[in-house]
Amino acid sequence: MGTIAQPVDELRRPNIASADNQLPAVKDYEQVDREIISTLGFTKKWLIGLSVAVFAMLIGASAWIYQIYWGLGQAGYEPPVMWGVYIITFVFWVGIGHAGTLISAILYLFRAGFRTSIYRAAEAMTVFAVMTAGLFPIIHIGRPWKFFWLIPYPNWRLLWPNFKSPLVWDVFAISTYLTISTTFLYIGLIPDFAVLRDRETNPMRKRIYGILSLGWRNSDREWRHFAKAYLFLAAFSTPLVLSVHSVVSFDFAMALVPGWHASIFPPYFVAGAIFSGFAMVWTIVIPMRKWFRLEHYITLNHLDATAKVVLFTSLVVGCAYMIEFFIAWYSGVRPEQEFFWNRVFGQWWWAAWIMLLCNMALPMSLWSQKLRRNPTWLWFLSIFINIGMWYERFVIVVPSLSHEFSPWQWGSYAPSWVDMSFLVGSFGWFFMWFLLFVKQMPVMAIMELKEIVVPRRKHAAVEGAHH
Amino acid sequence: MSTEAGSGVKRRDFLKILGATGATTAVVGCSSEKVGKLIPYVTSPDNTVAGVSQFYATTCKECATGCGVLAEVRDGRPIKLEGNPDHPVNRGAICATGMAALQGLYNPDRYRQPMLREGAELTPVTWDRALEVLGQRLGEVKSRGGAANAVFMNAHETGSFPGLLDQWLSANGMPAHLSVDTMAPAATIATNRAAYGAAWPAIDFNAASLILSFSADFLDAWGHRVPQQLGWADARAKLEGAPRLVYIGARRSLTGLNADQWIPARPGSEMAICRAILGQATAAEAATAADVDEGTITALIAAVGAAGSGVLALCGMTTPDAVECGTMVADINKQNGSVGTTIKPAEAHAGYEGLSSYLELVEATERMNAGSVPVAFVRNVNPAYSMPASVGFAEAFAKVGFKVSFSIMPDETSLLCDLILPDHHWLESWGDAVTVAGQRSFQQPVLEPVFDTRSVADVLIGSARADGAIAASFPQSDYRSWMVSGFAGGSDAFATALTQASVSGSVAASRATRTAPSRPSPAPALGAGEGNMFVFVYPSATLGDGSGANKPWLQELPDPVTKIAWQSWVEIHPITAKQMGVKEGDHLTVTTAAGEISAPAYPYMGVRPDTVAVALGQGHTAYGRFAIGVGVNAYTVLPSAWDSAGNLALVSTRGNVTRGVEHSALVTTEGSARQHGRGIAQAMMAAAISAPEVEEHHHDIPGHVSQEFLPGLKSPVAADAQGEFANPQSKDKGMYNPEHPTRAESRRWAMTVDLARCTGCSACVTACYSENNIPTVGARYQGRALSPVTWDERPGANIIKGREMAWIRLERYYEGNTNTENEFSPDFETRFVPMMCQHCGNAPCEPVCPVYATYHSPDGLNVQVYNRCVGTRYCSNNCPYKVRYYNWFGYGEPERKQYAWPEPMHWLLNPDVTVRGKGVMEKCTFCVQRIREGENRARSEERELRADEFTTACAQACPSRAIVFGDAADENWSVAKLAYDRRAYHVFEELNTYTAVVYLKKVNHPAPAASATA
Amino acid sequence: MQGVLGAFPHVDTTLGAIEELKKARLGNVTVFSPTIRHEIDDAIDGPNSVVRRFTLVGALLGVTFGYWVSIWTGDYWPLVTGGKAIASWIPYTIIGFEMMVLVGCLATVAGMFINARIPRLTTTVGYDPRFSSGHFGIFVACGEDKASQVEALLQKHGAEEVRREA
Repeated sequence: MGTIAQPVDELRRPNIASADNQLPAVKDYEQVDREIISTLGFTKKWLIGLSVAVFAMLIGASAWIYQIYWGLGQAGYEPPVMWGVYIITFVFWVGIGHAGTLISAILYLFRAGFRTSIYRAAEAMTVFAVMTAGLFPIIHIGRPWKFFWLIPYPNWRLLWPNFKSPLVWDVFAISTYLTISTTFLYIGLIPDFAVLRDRETNPMRKRIYGILSLGWRNSDREWRHFAKAYLFLAAFSTPLVLSVHSVVSFDFAMALVPGWHASIFPPYFVAGAIFSGFAMVWTIVIPMRKWFRLEHYITLNHLDATAKVVLFTSLVVGCAYMIEFFIAWYSGVRPEQEFFWNRVFGQWWWAAWIMLLCNMALPMSLWSQKLRRNPTWLWFLSIFINIGMWYERFVIVVPSLSHEFSPWQWGSYAPSWVDMSFLVGSFGWFFMWFLLFVKQMPVMAIMELKEIVVPRRKHAAVEGAHH
Repeated sequence: MSTEAGSGVKRRDFLKILGATGATTAVVGCSSEKVGKLIPYVTSPDNTVAGVSQFYATTCKECATGCGVLAEVRDGRPIKLEGNPDHPVNRGAICATGMAALQGLYNPDRYRQPMLREGAELTPVTWDRALEVLGQRLGEVKSRGGAANAVFMNAHETGSFPGLLDQWLSANGMPAHLSVDTMAPAATIATNRAAYGAAWPAIDFNAASLILSFSADFLDAWGHRVPQQLGWADARAKLEGAPRLVYIGARRSLTGLNADQWIPARPGSEMAICRAILGQATAAEAATAADVDEGTITALIAAVGAAGSGVLALCGMTTPDAVECGTMVADINKQNGSVGTTIKPAEAHAGYEGLSSYLELVEATERMNAGSVPVAFVRNVNPAYSMPASVGFAEAFAKVGFKVSFSIMPDETSLLCDLILPDHHWLESWGDAVTVAGQRSFQQPVLEPVFDTRSVADVLIGSARADGAIAASFPQSDYRSWMVSGFAGGSDAFATALTQASVSGSVAASRATRTAPSRPSPAPALGAGEGNMFVFVYPSATLGDGSGANKPWLQELPDPVTKIAWQSWVEIHPITAKQMGVKEGDHLTVTTAAGEISAPAYPYMGVRPDTVAVALGQGHTAYGRFAIGVGVNAYTVLPSAWDSAGNLALVSTRGNVTRGVEHSALVTTEGSARQHGRGIAQAMMAAAISAPEVEEHHHDIPGHVSQEFLPGLKSPVAADAQGEFANPQSKDKGMYNPEHPTRAESRRWAMTVDLARCTGCSACVTACYSENNIPTVGARYQGRALSPVTWDERPGANIIKGREMAWIRLERYYEGNTNTENEFSPDFETRFVPMMCQHCGNAPCEPVCPVYATYHSPDGLNVQVYNRCVGTRYCSNNCPYKVRYYNWFGYGEPERKQYAWPEPMHWLLNPDVTVRGKGVMEKCTFCVQRIREGENRARSEERELRADEFTTACAQACPSRAIVFGDAADENWSVAKLAYDRRAYHVFEELNTYTAVVYLKKVNHPAPAASATA
Repeated sequence: MQGVLGAFPHVDTTLGAIEELKKARLGNVTVFSPTIRHEIDDAIDGPNSVVRRFTLVGALLGVTFGYWVSIWTGDYWPLVTGGKAIASWIPYTIIGFEMMVLVGCLATVAGMFINARIPRLTTTVGYDPRFSSGHFGIFVACGEDKASQVEALLQKHGAEEVRREA
């Protein structure tokens, strides 16, 4: 909303973002309704996809029952490597969960118009990614049935968590983030639910949409408060997004483990999160725009703009890698230096080089506009980036722990089949929710699309008279 | 743990009562059949207060040393064995093997009742039936006149029983029994008898200035381990004036690693070195024979000459020429006039009196093989396992008409028997042992028998009394009264004696002396024979000759040298390994004339490049669930060769060593054996001790941290992690409320570990397992699932995954010799560091715990609250010392596969300590249960804690007295002085953790025989 | 609520109608639009939203609670960890911040619901489904007397349909 919704004023030099936000192929409001609503409703392909996702999710679920019965020994943990695939995957999904709110909140404040057609999908992706991530700390602890002890709930012994522990910060950051991003998503959906309610013929679904729309009437009063509330939510979400992954990075930065104890971690993690988040957006949106025939909503301009963000964050992340090595050398601390040597040239070289290849080298291809505007390449690149970012967390967690201060306790690590079941299960869980979402709710914000569509006029008036 | 050194008087009185009523305490215990619900006593048995320990003085029978032990009994069950502080032999110390006796007592695989062979099967029978069969078969044998050919193989012991046994045998017209101890250093004993006129003269390390050890592993398994280690540690604690040790042998054992110099003599060449020292040969000849640097030999000769009567030369070789060599070694002592100063025949230890030789066993086997043996008895001896396969004991034994076993465990030999009459475990029996200088050490039952077993002595007496012909010679009804009858002063004096550690006086019945046979050994001269390498077989420091293999504590205890557990390995020098293209864990096949074994390779720079070393003890085919299928039996490759005294030669042959196809991961607790300059194990030269501080250059000592810190405990009081509490100007008065009701912040529990004393024997580790209910995780059935259907059945699978639970571990770091793969050099230093929770003042593990499961107590303990732990394992990640251990499985849950204490082994659990559940973190607590008990006792007696009133389990056991625990804030405790010693340092001090554990630097001595050319 | 409803297909005609209705003062005007059109906002020129006050109060409550709960609980069980102060405010800032965001956002949403009068149970009176699609709507709350006037005005401005609501 705000003034970004204004048709471009040719007196102003268009900034990159708003230059992209014209949808020439979209004629009027009714077309928007028609085309977005047409994406809803079940199809055979969708059902197949959903059942695959549910099956994968069940693999993870059964692994969890098995692990709770036997104990964490069934996972691949090998002391001193006390954290493994679960924490890696946790950070991986939290990272992915950052793109959505970044796009919907930060880009909103920056008035980057290209967000309009992708932010709904990205926001849903955020919610589901955080839902996935939130499971892993519980999966990872030794006595999952006691996880609520990390939450400050009143109890008769007045036992409280230790607010000095980064893990408790996590609990606050992640739960706040999940609540807020869910709220943000829902608030944005209310007017669209009203649209669905008014278009729906099936009485049952009509009733459900009616309830979800909270009786929204598109009246001027509603719009006025809606706009203001949305602005403040965005204003809050912006620092929240930055804080969440900073807090996650504190899990490592606050420890004195060589390779963890680094003040660069918060910015480094946030950049990495945005990087992986946008990659996941591609992974989801590029097939979606094809299957749902939304190419004229998510145009090459949009992809081009996101590619530039990815390129930038890739440079930030790469820079952070380099700085880590520099600091290790510059600190003169021997455990630090030996660890970093071991990370890149020692027992973990392969993981480190996968990371550097996927996160630093391949994204450099985005300097070429041809590739930036090539959806197929972007999609394959997004897969590489997802792998690379998973390995980044692997490289942070495992080699550091396996090569700490006490040489006598240096070790190794190999995930077990149980770890892998959880990794598969997490993707199943995530895509299960996302697939359910795309067929029940508009994957694009109808009312925001309408903002950038030129409304019908009786007399062709001079545009952009306002503001 | 109510009675420790310090409250001796009190315990004496206490034990007086207990000793007198030792027999009645049997009422208290309950056997496995009866064990059911836990219900409080309605009327408590005498001297029993639920939840309060009683301590029974008895005598350890795990080896011939006869250490005095205190059995801590809780509600009728012994839960821990500790050294008896008043015992002259061990002065309160105890070794891992001794403590592990409990797992022999509570072993789930023990014989639970008599058994009789019916057809192929051994089937349970009643005692009446069993004894009936015994009497009847004995009758047949005697009526056929075959009694004279009977063979009784008894586990060697001193004291009254051998006398009773021989009396019984002769009454039945049978020859005297064979007293078998495969662990006894027989060659040494033979030479001692010849040279000093005593089987085992006292060794006075304190009087020595130069010790020559010819493979005499007095810190591993050679001789009387605990007293030797006490003597050694006390002598070394003199620091500057300490005796220096030269170790001569093909393999650097634990003793060798404690030596100041290693002379890697080629096996069989030791005599040449002796000759050179004795002046019968030149250094050059010796050097060529031994394949060592001539300068070293020259320097050695000079050093021996200089040391004069301070020389202490010991020979522990097991080569075919061991006796001859031993005699020459004795000559070195005589020549230097050190007999009587360092070697004291007058104070000889009687532990090895009456030992039979290997050759006697061989001859018995031959008689069996000839079918001339109508009946054979075996008690806790296992020749079917512990004799070279080429002797063919099992086949011969099968030809014996009737075979009776009194063994307590179903081992390889007793499984061949026709009748099993399971004996009591020594903790369940009466008995005694003769130790040093004629001292007689008593043994009393500390619980009612766990299973339906009977004391062998009672069985023998019973059978004799049942036989009218000989009944008259056995007036007493049972063994106890038999002992009392022979005891000066009768029953009252006997009861009193039980309460004392030991009394002087000779054994009731003197034993039949026997002339040992002698016969030329079939073994070729060492070094001859085919094969590309010497095969060096040695008894394991933890499992001995294999008798320890059924005890998970000993299986789990990493070998002090190689740090390998639950496995057999072949030690090979890195150079040779590189030449053969063998990596750690690749299997090596060792083939000799006798047989062949295949085990993973362990590249070890402490063995000669032309030698491979293999330890005895593993490879059982019977002997219980913990022993079966673990490793290989090194006896397989041993030819049946003996020395001139008829004792089995363990180092007697060459063999072909080839690379096998298999590879198996080593079950090792070793990460990197190098310190990487992190100052974990620090050392200083002896000369620097009296030198002024400034002259000490840390950087000159390899493995030392670059940072320099002042010595001493950094945070003198627990309330003051920043160390400002002591400073009156400082406003920082710590974080604890001085009005705290416990007045706890006036205390500072701390520990010092003297690396100059520590030998790395690892007794502290087993003590900790025993005190703190630490689960063993290495048994075959305790592994994890490799797939939904297959499990990891490798012994030690969890340890391969680094999941051992030892709260205290012995880290073993090497210094020097960084280029081992390319050059062979004997000059490397080894440092042992006991590493346990350092109870940091600024503990990195504490703030990261989200639920306060670990926090800092006002008296300086880093507390771990198991009930509160949710298992995030963040604390372990953040611990620089890596001393936190995690329960990956439900080791404490009987219904789980991984259960660590199968019935009735859980009887040894310490009721003062929680058995930790699945998914929680655990670690060293500084034995908080002992601290609180001591404090409570002091409070109930309305007094302050006495200095050194109690100590931790590790410190209590330590046979080197290296660990000292106490209140560093109270100068009366000895730890308070030690913590500010000139040598004191903290590990990783640069991390500002302000640990409560202070290490005292190891003290290095220059090599006694430093070669002028080298 | 009684009044007259007019549906407009074009935005500019809607604007015209709004301008004139404001001058005519025939009753409270409610404008429906499928999406936010700032021209319409400007035409209506309504009061500024008070949601921001909810936001402010919520945020302040949140940050206070965050600090309070972490300091009070630490003080209730004064367990020393890692030699750090019991009430170490620097790490507690994270708790304070997260609580500020959480409570602040929820208060904002509450403020929006209260001010926008949602959730409401019915949309029937003075609403037409077209308004969520392509049409603009104007509802004038007025009595029978003024109804015909309003109808005329709306028709004049090109309303596609005009109907009376009761």
